[in-house]
Amino acid sequence: MARRPAPLRRALAALAGLALLSAPAARAAEPTRVHLGATLPLTGAEARVGGFFKEGYELAVEEVNKAGGLQVGARKLPVALTLLDDTSTQATAVSLADRLVNSDKVDFLLGTYASHLIEAQSTVGEQNKVPYVNGGGGATKIYKRGFKYLFGTIAPVELLGTTLMQWIDVQQKAGRLPRPAKIALVWENTAHGKDFKKGISDFVAQSGGAYTIAVDESFALDGKDFGALLGKVKAAGVDLFLADAHLPDYITMHRQYVAAGLCHKVVSYGARGSEKAAIEALGQENVNYVLSGVWWSPQLGQKPGPAQDFVKLFQGKYPGRQPEWFQALAYESARALFAAISQAGSLDREAVRQRLSGLEMRSLLPGGTLRFPANLGNQAQNAFVVQQNLPDRTSPIVFPPDAATGTAVAANPRCAK
Amino acid sequence: MSLRWPEIVPPRAALAFAAGVVALAVAPWVLGLSPYSHNLVTLAFLMVSGALAWNWMGGFVGQVSFGHAAMFGLGGFVAARVLLAAPELPAPLAWIAGGLVAGLFALGAHPTLRLRGPYFSIATIGVGEAARLVFTYWEDFTGGSSGLSLPIDSDMKYRLYWWGLGLMALVAAASFLIRRSTLGLQLLAIKADVDAAADVGVSATFYQDLVFCLSGAVVGVSGGLWASYFSFIEPNDMFGFDRSIGFVLMTVIGGVGTVFGPVLGAIVFVLLRQFLLASYPQLYLGLYGLLLIFIILFEPLGLTGLLLRLSRPLRRWADRPAAAPSP
Amino acid sequence: MERFVDLAVSAILLAGLYATMAYGLGLIYGVLRVVNLAHGGVIMAGAYLGWVLHGSLGIDPYLSIPLVVLLSFGLGMAMYRVLVRHLPRGAAGGPASLLLLFGVWLVLRNVAYLLFTGNDQAIRTSYSTRSLLVLGTHVSVNRLAVLVIALVTPALLQLLLRHSHVGRAIRAVAQNADSCTLVGVDVERIYTLTFGIGTALAGLAGLLSATIFSFNPGFGSGELLKSFVVVVLGGLGSVLGTGVAALVLAVVEVFAILVLPSYLTSAVGFVMLVLVLVFRPGGLFGHRVLG
Repeated sequence: MARRPAPLRRALAALAGLALLSAPAARAAEPTRVHLGATLPLTGAEARVGGFFKEGYELAVEEVNKAGGLQVGARKLPVALTLLDDTSTQATAVSLADRLVNSDKVDFLLGTYASHLIEAQSTVGEQNKVPYVNGGGGATKIYKRGFKYLFGTIAPVELLGTTLMQWIDVQQKAGRLPRPAKIALVWENTAHGKDFKKGISDFVAQSGGAYTIAVDESFALDGKDFGALLGKVKAAGVDLFLADAHLPDYITMHRQYVAAGLCHKVVSYGARGSEKAAIEALGQENVNYVLSGVWWSPQLGQKPGPAQDFVKLFQGKYPGRQPEWFQALAYESARALFAAISQAGSLDREAVRQRLSGLEMRSLLPGGTLRFPANLGNQAQNAFVVQQNLPDRTSPIVFPPDAATGTAVAANPRCAK
Repeated sequence: MSLRWPEIVPPRAALAFAAGVVALAVAPWVLGLSPYSHNLVTLAFLMVSGALAWNWMGGFVGQVSFGHAAMFGLGGFVAARVLLAAPELPAPLAWIAGGLVAGLFALGAHPTLRLRGPYFSIATIGVGEAARLVFTYWEDFTGGSSGLSLPIDSDMKYRLYWWGLGLMALVAAASFLIRRSTLGLQLLAIKADVDAAADVGVSATFYQDLVFCLSGAVVGVSGGLWASYFSFIEPNDMFGFDRSIGFVLMTVIGGVGTVFGPVLGAIVFVLLRQFLLASYPQLYLGLYGLLLIFIILFEPLGLTGLLLRLSRPLRRWADRPAAAPSP
Repeated sequence: MERFVDLAVSAILLAGLYATMAYGLGLIYGVLRVVNLAHGGVIMAGAYLGWVLHGSLGIDPYLSIPLVVLLSFGLGMAMYRVLVRHLPRGAAGGPASLLLLFGVWLVLRNVAYLLFTGNDQAIRTSYSTRSLLVLGTHVSVNRLAVLVIALVTPALLQLLLRHSHVGRAIRAVAQNADSCTLVGVDVERIYTLTFGIGTALAGLAGLLSATIFSFNPGFGSGELLKSFVVVVLGGLGSVLGTGVAALVLAVVEVFAILVLPSYLTSAVGFVMLVLVLVFRPGGLFGHRVLG
């Protein structure tokens, strides 16, 4: 009879053994390095973009180490980055961040990619009072929780919706688009998508009838069949097709969009459109005239400044490739953290947090300055740039006018055929 | 009712069990667990509770459910909603509320219970996936795909260790009692042959409802604790098919139908997962797959069966007569 | 009216896809009484096989059909000989075979991860996005091809089952394996063949899906669930019922967008699955074994 609980006793022994796996290491009094930790979705749904963020983080760390390390007080310390794969799942992102902070004893955290992962993971930074800087979570909801240790270099997606509508409004006023224009608003059912929807709907509500939303539908992240959704769009006979999707969904949805014979005067997938991966997967002829609003574009580097420096740095390491906003925001997040550490002159988390709050850094982002306004939950508010894919394989910036590198083509010429 | 010691509980087992629980309860102080290990063990407690409860249905009754994530998610979101609506309420009440709703939901699945074997399993996949889609869409309740954030409470996360331990101890004791009681025998009869069980007066419907409801409620409570642990929950994750699969894997790997197999399975699952995810994130699913194939083909009682098999020659050796009579 | 035609056309096309996905699952269940949870994994493997053949050897996905079918046939036979054979069949082996094949699925997924990473892939041909005008609606060439194959496959299957010696043996084994042994049919061989054919059909479905959708190692779980719905709806083990059930599911899903948000249309299938299992366990059309 008494042998019954044997497996339980064994279990207890296993649990006790676990404790020995990670005996608490004494924190060195005098730091010998700056230890950063991050997880990224290197496998799973967001794997492709996770890889881009990795390039950005690594570029920033290499740059600092090549310069002899990061200036912390009187000394230059080398920067080490521990990077783990969160497999694009929330529970893993949280557990691994917990591990980075409490087991690997990193000094600071850099963020993962995609809003839902950031929202889950940033709780670890807040609980352990570790500054957490990310460039991959653009949903405003993340920053409305009153977190003190969370900083975002990525402007709100809502602003993306607004910027797209501003461009459309310019075209409509110039008579290139019908008035009133019917909109199909198709958004990913995530915090990201809801922000986009809000940006567009708010603009439409204030437009005084210049626009109506005829289709308002959501879809699941990482969906495969958008047939039903596109059927609804088709039936509604709209003028403007405004969607918000992550890269894999953009590719899948647009493929089915083209095959279903759809064409609209304005086609946008939010932040997606000009990615090289998408053009390869869809074919140039099918992505022509697609508009995208992005946080950063390598064309910002045509003028001298931090953006140009970054493009040069990137191409020094990856010859023949153009950086996209993913690498730029990852790089900029790491740089913001470095700047704050240098200013604080120590690895004290509280001191670095305060420096991040007050940071005002010359930046590669549109507008040229990065700051984290506290009243907006430490989320940067840099403007978006609107790009349009053209048949000559370029995607010039067409909006706002002061950043423009090309002229927009409005009323999609594809539909004329 | 007299205060006699229940016969089905051998005093030595009860003593060992109590000692184990006390040892675990004081472990964080005695061993000086790092916060990381502390949290990992907390998660293990929640997983063990879930696996034990799944085993009541999958092991004792023999109805393999691929849809327990529905109850897990429901419990989590109800608890989160309660915590958000009434922050002054003690958290355990919110978890219990989650468990109650999850238990009721399980009762609602009553019609599927007359299905047996693969039919039941397929139906639970349907229920689970439909629940995931509906609850992801139901924004007012679950916050849609952007999920729900709870206020950050580091103390609570720390204390969850003992709440998790308490839940696990309760569920483990319940498993033991169910197995040893008449109820356990009745469930065994249902598992072996529903019709024959009905012939001898064991109502399959009633007992299955009862067990499914209890199992759902426990999984719901662990979902509630999970919500408090993570401070952020999202329906696609909470209701995900992977979570349902997790319960199946933990129990089958540990030893389906045995009393404490799921404990073993869940611990191995959590540890292996944590270790593999950090070092070889691509490998862990395949490894579970291989383990599963191996177990089904060679050792249906899982790791428990393996341990028993290994311990048998040892015991025979220990129990050998002083002077072995030659045959 | 135009709207109705639009929806009807897309329902028929979708039905073609669903039917192709479900034939293999239905056949294996009908004969062996084994629920092949590895079905989703084989669909995924078929997709990658087509992708590799197209990407590295430049073989058009439709021309690679024979090769993909043959390779998945081999995979299925191997799966049966090495694994499934050792399990008790019927109700007793139910949960065990379910879990065993689930393990196979996990392994397949993992192998794909290791070989191809988790990135989304797609097969892009010159006609990937081309469409034809049918009844005033644009119809993707790929979807049309899938529909044709979905109609040809059951016809061939019926031909095989009705007019060949092996086919007759398969039907006999499906009805009563024990008496087959008595009259000298090698039941094990028939089981191996059936499992091979069922798996080959899954590989074909994967290849065809890959011409329409993008995929990654996790691909196939949605397809498996849809196949369940179709097979259960059509009565587990009925080939023709499968085709009709695919149409029913597709029509319901497609027309559901008139009343439901498109996000919820896939939930309709799962609800149908549960309702049919509970209220009409023999399928919508009663229980028939292999036509």
